[in-house]
Amino acid sequence: MSEHVLNSIGLFVPEIILVASLCIIIVADLLLKKRTHAGGWILLASLVLCFFAFSAQSGINTSAFFAMIAVDPFSVFFKVILVISGIFIVLFSMQNKELIPYKNRIGEYYMLIAGMMLGMFLMVSSTNLLMMYLAFEMTSICSYVLVGFTKKSIRSAESSIKYIIYGSVSSGIMIYGMSLIYGMSGSLNIFEIGAALSGLESAPIFSMAVLMITAGIGFKIALVPFHFWAPDVYEGAPMAITALLAVTSKIAAVAMLIRLFRVSFTGVDATGMMAIIPEGIRWDMMLAVMAAAAMILGNLAALWQDNIKRMLAYSSIAHAGYIIMGVVVLTDQGISAVMLYAFMYLFMNLGTFYMAMLYANKFSTESIEGYKGIGYRAPFTAVALTIFLVSLTGLPPTAGFIAKLYIFGAAINAGWIWLVLVAGVMTIVSLFYYIRVARNMFLYKPEGETEPVRFDNFTTAIVLLLLTPVLVLGVYFTPVLEFIKHSLVMFGVQ
Amino acid sequence: MENELIQWLSQPGLTHYLMIGALLFCIGITLVLTRRNVIMILMGIELILNSVNLNFIAFSRFSVITLDGHLTALFLIILAAAEAAVALAIVLNIYNRFKTIDIDEISLLKG
Amino acid sequence: MLSDFGSILLFMIAGVLFVAIALFVSKLVRPHRPNADKLSTYECGEEPIGDARIQFNNRFYIIGLMFLIFEVEILLLFPWAMVFQDLGWYAFSAMFVFVFLIFIGFIYELGKGHLKWDLPSPAVPEYVEGVGVVERDIRTEDDEFESDGGLTFK
Repeated sequence: MSEHVLNSIGLFVPEIILVASLCIIIVADLLLKKRTHAGGWILLASLVLCFFAFSAQSGINTSAFFAMIAVDPFSVFFKVILVISGIFIVLFSMQNKELIPYKNRIGEYYMLIAGMMLGMFLMVSSTNLLMMYLAFEMTSICSYVLVGFTKKSIRSAESSIKYIIYGSVSSGIMIYGMSLIYGMSGSLNIFEIGAALSGLESAPIFSMAVLMITAGIGFKIALVPFHFWAPDVYEGAPMAITALLAVTSKIAAVAMLIRLFRVSFTGVDATGMMAIIPEGIRWDMMLAVMAAAAMILGNLAALWQDNIKRMLAYSSIAHAGYIIMGVVVLTDQGISAVMLYAFMYLFMNLGTFYMAMLYANKFSTESIEGYKGIGYRAPFTAVALTIFLVSLTGLPPTAGFIAKLYIFGAAINAGWIWLVLVAGVMTIVSLFYYIRVARNMFLYKPEGETEPVRFDNFTTAIVLLLLTPVLVLGVYFTPVLEFIKHSLVMFGVQ
Repeated sequence: MENELIQWLSQPGLTHYLMIGALLFCIGITLVLTRRNVIMILMGIELILNSVNLNFIAFSRFSVITLDGHLTALFLIILAAAEAAVALAIVLNIYNRFKTIDIDEISLLKG
Repeated sequence: MLSDFGSILLFMIAGVLFVAIALFVSKLVRPHRPNADKLSTYECGEEPIGDARIQFNNRFYIIGLMFLIFEVEILLLFPWAMVFQDLGWYAFSAMFVFVFLIFIGFIYELGKGHLKWDLPSPAVPEYVEGVGVVERDIRTEDDEFESDGGLTFK
């Protein structure tokens, strides 16, 4: 046994680094009397260390800690995405003006982000229902506090109470579904659940359990009809945390959804094709309807929004719909399309949020109407924001186009024509509200102050770091595809 | 007929516990949906988690003879406590901002 | 023969009967001479003033929350204490890490001063020339906890 434990600890190095950095941040916050972003730098360093630790894990395909977690290329791919987005979130937080009045508590802020990153690492790699639930709750509880971190702001307080009520109810429903699955299959291990379910007759109780689990995970992804929290919480939370919720935790939840459904709820039928177990549940149809609803509702509701954070919230609901299209397919092609989408979505959505944060800092406006004339005062960032928005729409030659192309291709190959039709029409709708931002920036003369606004080098460097992948991946994405092809291996799945 | 009912009631088995669990779950959901006081909503959430605990332990005792269910219930109790702590702290902050904990009156964000 | 549930039913009946008989017997034998002092609400010899449902100081809740967090760790420690001898160093070191993390949290609480409880200074009525006896407002403004809406000591 001790050999197994030692091996497991060897595979657990990145998470251990994160836990250690969490402790160091707390102690540093107590010892350093000068209130700076020291915690942020510590977290940044540990995330970079994690990145290298993950590179060392490439090619490993095994499970650790008595089949509690799996270290496989699939989880490593998603962890790399999470680490990259975590690094950007920390960089954003250092510039977020909303956090300045809370300088004497800023150590807590970075500690909570570290805890949330740890939870998300475990989410993408856990292979046990209990572990999945614990990781899910770890992420959730940290994010409840982070959303309400700027506690003197009345918006933040309101959004945190809404988030915690929706969050704990939906996670309660999810664990109820898991208890039913446990009762039917007799195990918490997702591989054993898959094996047990394949020999069982279908019953209404399964459909209910699967629906309940989807409710919990769908809450994190902000999938319709579990999306009600998203607009309010996104608007009320500090901007860096909004980006964290919209990108990082969403991607982690998608990875968890894929692993659970791929391992436990699909099997191989007599012809060697992938089949749903137990027969007759049709959760793929359920997910497809949810995805279509998310795309329709997200894109149509975004048309009326004036607050940029609210608009991006509805846009991220719509993007959840696009991502779930790939999960509906769930073949290797579908999963690789989801992975590609997640990779592209990371850069373009973080970029948009960063621009919104910069403008909130400089012009103290979150209203799209207030963006009038910014194109003349800050041409570089305005052009960058336009490129990010074009990429979110999915127009060539940006990364968003490639991502949508692969998702649509996977869905068409699997025969989901109606779903692709809905997605296509809704993509055209999305053009209107994304372009409205660019129109306000460039087609109106600035009102009031007109002198150009300068951004420091640090800001410009971050913008370039986010902008380059969006442009380059739009034309040259072979390395990413190659990486994804090697990362399709999930532990215990042929 | 009556005898059968008495017989069924006098021998508690898995079904009894599952029914109590489902009942608790429904009461919890109803509390969450109908109450306007945040504290009552949080109580509903606790009820949901307790119904899950009951389910896990009943399954662990009657249908699956492993300790997984007991273990899960243990962790669930801890998580419920952690969640309640965070939720109450947030409610405290809400009270300081809004001077009320009526969920219908806490609605500045709309659209 | 009693079934499992039957014995529980017996317990319940016995419990109800026990209380009922005790109350009934005491009603038979006790003298019945009420007066105003006896009927008043008992509150440790103090005269009850005002409503019992007052708002408490927020700090009670904060201390309560912290207590809750440290209390539930016992839930994990107890099963561990039953088996750690069989599991050896693995269980021991795992629990050591767990307790260490809790300890760090505790240190943070201490360091940030969340466990400090500054008592408000007693309200001594002062005599001010020309105005008369003035009772000072003794509510302390606490920035971190924002004790507004809490108990006012009157």
